[in-house]
Amino acid sequence: MPDMGRDFRIIGFLCNWCSYGGADAAGVARFSQPTDLRIIRVPCSGRVDPMFVAKALLSGADGVLVSGCHPRDCHYSEGNFYARRRLEMLRRFLPILGVDEGRFEYVWVSASEGSRWRDMVTKFTEKIHDLGPMPRMMEPARTLCSLEGMLGQSLAQPDMASGAALVLPDWDKPAGSVLTPADIAGMGAEPGAKEGGNG
Amino acid sequence: MAENDRMAELRAAVLQELPRLDFVLGYARGFDPLHATPITVRNEKDAGRLIFDPTCVQNLATSLYALRGKRIGLVVKGCDSRSVVELMQEKLVDRENLVIFGLPCDGVLDLAKVRTVVDIARVRGAEFTGGEVRLLLPEGEKVLPRRDVLADKCLRCRYPNPLVADHMIGEKIEPQGAEDTYADLDGFEKLGMQERFDFWKRQMSRCIRCYACRNACPLCVCKHVCLADSRDPHWLTSEATLQEKWLFQVMHALHLAGRCTECGECQRSCPMGIPILLLKRKMNRELKEVFNYEAGVDPEAVPPLHTFQMEEDKIKDRGQLW
Amino acid sequence: MRIGVMVCHCGNNIAATVDVEAVAAAAREFPDVVYATDHMYACSDPGQKTIEQVIRDLKLDGVVVASCSPRMHEVTFRRAVERGGLNRYMFEMANIREHVAWISLDRKRNTQKATDLVRMAVEKLRVDRPLTPKSFDVQKRVLVVGGGVAGIQAALDCADGGLDVILVERRSSIGGIMSKLDKTFPTVDCSVCVLGPKMVDAGQNPRITLHALSEVEEVSGYVGNFEVKIRKRTTYVDWTKCTGCGACQEKCPSRKVPDAFNENVSFTTAINIPFPQAIPKRASIDAEHCIRLTKGKCGACEKVCPTGAIDYAMQDEFVTEKVGAIIAATGLSLFDHKKCGEYGAGRYPDVVTSLAYERMLSASGPTAGHIKRPSDGAEPKTVVFIACVGSRDRSLNRPYCSNFCCMYTAKQAILTRDHIPDSKAYVFYMDIRANGKGYEEFVRRAQEEYGVEYVRGRVAQIYPQNGKLVVRGADTLLGRQVEIAADLVVLAVGAEAAKGAPELAEKLRISYDAYGFFMESHPKLRPVETNTVGVYLAGACQGPKDIPASVAQASAAAGKVLALLSKDKLESDPQIALVAANRCIGCGKCERTCPFGAIRMRELRDGSQRAEVVETVCQGCGICSVTCPVRAIQLQHFTDSQLLAEVNALCRTWDETSES
Repeated sequence: MPDMGRDFRIIGFLCNWCSYGGADAAGVARFSQPTDLRIIRVPCSGRVDPMFVAKALLSGADGVLVSGCHPRDCHYSEGNFYARRRLEMLRRFLPILGVDEGRFEYVWVSASEGSRWRDMVTKFTEKIHDLGPMPRMMEPARTLCSLEGMLGQSLAQPDMASGAALVLPDWDKPAGSVLTPADIAGMGAEPGAKEGGNG
Repeated sequence: MAENDRMAELRAAVLQELPRLDFVLGYARGFDPLHATPITVRNEKDAGRLIFDPTCVQNLATSLYALRGKRIGLVVKGCDSRSVVELMQEKLVDRENLVIFGLPCDGVLDLAKVRTVVDIARVRGAEFTGGEVRLLLPEGEKVLPRRDVLADKCLRCRYPNPLVADHMIGEKIEPQGAEDTYADLDGFEKLGMQERFDFWKRQMSRCIRCYACRNACPLCVCKHVCLADSRDPHWLTSEATLQEKWLFQVMHALHLAGRCTECGECQRSCPMGIPILLLKRKMNRELKEVFNYEAGVDPEAVPPLHTFQMEEDKIKDRGQLW
Repeated sequence: MRIGVMVCHCGNNIAATVDVEAVAAAAREFPDVVYATDHMYACSDPGQKTIEQVIRDLKLDGVVVASCSPRMHEVTFRRAVERGGLNRYMFEMANIREHVAWISLDRKRNTQKATDLVRMAVEKLRVDRPLTPKSFDVQKRVLVVGGGVAGIQAALDCADGGLDVILVERRSSIGGIMSKLDKTFPTVDCSVCVLGPKMVDAGQNPRITLHALSEVEEVSGYVGNFEVKIRKRTTYVDWTKCTGCGACQEKCPSRKVPDAFNENVSFTTAINIPFPQAIPKRASIDAEHCIRLTKGKCGACEKVCPTGAIDYAMQDEFVTEKVGAIIAATGLSLFDHKKCGEYGAGRYPDVVTSLAYERMLSASGPTAGHIKRPSDGAEPKTVVFIACVGSRDRSLNRPYCSNFCCMYTAKQAILTRDHIPDSKAYVFYMDIRANGKGYEEFVRRAQEEYGVEYVRGRVAQIYPQNGKLVVRGADTLLGRQVEIAADLVVLAVGAEAAKGAPELAEKLRISYDAYGFFMESHPKLRPVETNTVGVYLAGACQGPKDIPASVAQASAAAGKVLALLSKDKLESDPQIALVAANRCIGCGKCERTCPFGAIRMRELRDGSQRAEVVETVCQGCGICSVTCPVRAIQLQHFTDSQLLAEVNALCRTWDETSES
């Protein structure tokens, strides 16, 4: 992925006691890192709601990194155990949304592991650079709503991610037939496979 | 046991329990032979209207939370009973105030499938025999193989017999499906990331944000304090944009993690026919793989996301992997 | 809202790689920011004064400082902001030093990143709310559960510090395992001589209330205000009248009662004082073996008691105490060697446990210090000690090392030689753990001065033959099997959690590990605290340890308690969870997942339930905030809205500044 000339948007949720200290330690040791990561401090990785990660990724973040204390070392004793379960389920769930699972990682970094933090950030940033910007769910140039005239041009934002030509909805295709289970099961069987419903 | 005998047994059981209940929730014939409707039974006349056949698709457990404080009876199929068990697990229902009439079920119709073959508005009558559905139309009878028009969830059903019941009405049934192979997920996952993203984008462009999916879910007990509407905390806006609609669906699936019993009401109630059950099934498949857990089966079980173990066999340390 | 932003140069630390003035200029354009400046050293005296001044002059509602890590200076700036007249929580920091300036030399990107971080801080500040700590009264009293050496030490330290102490002990006398020892390592000084004075102190100290033969029945409340219900089990003797003269014990006809204090080496009477140095020195009746209480006959003790202290009708009594803190010092019990078939599973009378052997060695013990074989009373000439019985053994589910067995085995081997000069002692061991002060030298002495033969290997089998016990083991250093005909075998049994430890832990709402030992807050940095604020640990209940370590830990726990209760009122950190009662649906999931038990369900007048946070107990982790399905419970200063403000700020800034 060629350098875009600006940072990607990578958000980090770091627990105050271990990982934030680890990131500080990396700074104190002047370990060079890519600049993309922006850190949000939380008291414990157990505070990280999987919805924060989902919301970030679907609102324009290209990658999210969550870091907490090593299991058994949690300052609040159990927070990272819950975090581990919640975030693992989130990690496995993201691909069904069409979000590459490489865009979300959760790791355990202690306050003394400055160089390990540097490695995590560097590797993760490189991975996000390789994956490219996160696609956005932006409205197409014309909305399907028949009140489009009233809404005006404010929603006319081209789809930033794909960079492809604008694709307008086919107003002539009849609405009605429901996506059948056979359609879903058969999807991806071959390019241009039959899709039920409207496109 | 013949159907009439079963209905007689149901009615008798209902009438026996009615004196100490406010009412019993069951199914009656709806506006046409292919639709059932929920009814409240308060007396013998009401009880006479009770039916149970493959048109009884509704999950009556959806009403349970709203009826807290009342003493009620409830007619449940196998899948419905899982919703009841899940509510019991979360201590959201008072078991002492509930009388459950369990009806082993061998499948309900998916009207969307029927619609692809007949115009259901013209159906004058319906008969359900062993492997067939006989529909009476003005021009004659149309016979459909049962497996072709049963709901998908029934084809893979492993809990046809209610897991909790005060009265079990009818003979127990063997499960239809051997194992849930998640064939629909496998098929979907053959798509690449961008294709999946585009798929959901198209689906969300059809979503009208009616919240029928949320309202039909038996486990959505948050009602007026639902996070989707809340301003404090301010997670979502009410804008009809793709992003906000999609965020709501993601939030719904995440909030149901470890709780969803795949009753399918969300998808069934969607007026736009969006396959949102796929998201919940994905979450459930991962939960099964990592924690070997199924929601709504064991009332004593602790949901996996509300507990933890020091060592997690199935969760690898991500930091070691890359 | 009126927000002020100060961007720090930190000398050259930040300014070298970040265009600080540009960041301040950008901040000026942010919504609600009415003042933005750069400063050479924000944390310095002039820097802080500037902040205070600007708050007053410009009537600010909140301040953002972009400088170093909040882990460094958040407290400093919060105080400055408070001096300026604001609530200290209306303050945010952007870390543009450790996380920006020091990790990259790309000035352009760093400046954009710093600007983004300041934007995030401003957006969070706009959603921040003033927070006020609550203060509450405390009881300056402490409950110590367990009267072993750790409990005694903790009680004495707390009493010396001016606190009232309630000391609860399960047996009829305090002293614990140390009171059963003959000598202690590595000094080989008399155990009871060392412990005795402390026991007497504990019994006589005006600040210490001793409840012996008592147990904790129920604990409720929270730090500073615990309410403890104690069950005082009946002794059938009025201890206000009993003088400990022992006349009852001499006359009691029930003489075949297994003597628990002497590890069943001998028998005792149904009414007894457990040992001469017992504190309280009072008699108590073992109801199971008392002829009067079981069959209604006898009554000899009542007749001979000079003060009429015997009361066969006595019942258990309950006492409720209010305390501010609790120290658990319940010690340990020893592994039951009957589980080891290879050592005879308890069938051979001449295979004894180390503690039973200790009683035999004791001059005030059942054999008056003469070591006798239990089978025939003869003096043993060959004594074999087997180490690691019930320790370091995964097959017995005891994989841990019990800490003190190597040392007490060496001690017992030395004492054997002292008592029986022509005896020979062998020790079968795996490793020698002698890591305390003087410990290694002690073990060497045993080998070099006392001729104890150490054989590195395990024992596979013990069987009787011709009146002796054949001990069959391995000598791995010489690479051969050995067989020793022993007169007596002493098993160095390992440590286990005390009986009933898990039940007590649940009452105190503290955690315990897989073996029943209580869990400390942090294995390295908080060894005497638990996750339940106000409950501390002392001694072997936290993990096997020897006497010096137990005593040290007891004093440490006492120190923590004294610090906790040194103020008249405790202040709770307001960055804790708070329930929005109008959103709470009463499902109780938060209560079930809180590691600290800081949440309780409260019933409203209409019968519905709401969660309520006990402010003094909540540690501020936020697990509950994520567990709650409606997010009614929110961690203050890290609420969903506040964290979302940061996320949204970041996602939005890029759209606005799409060239960097």
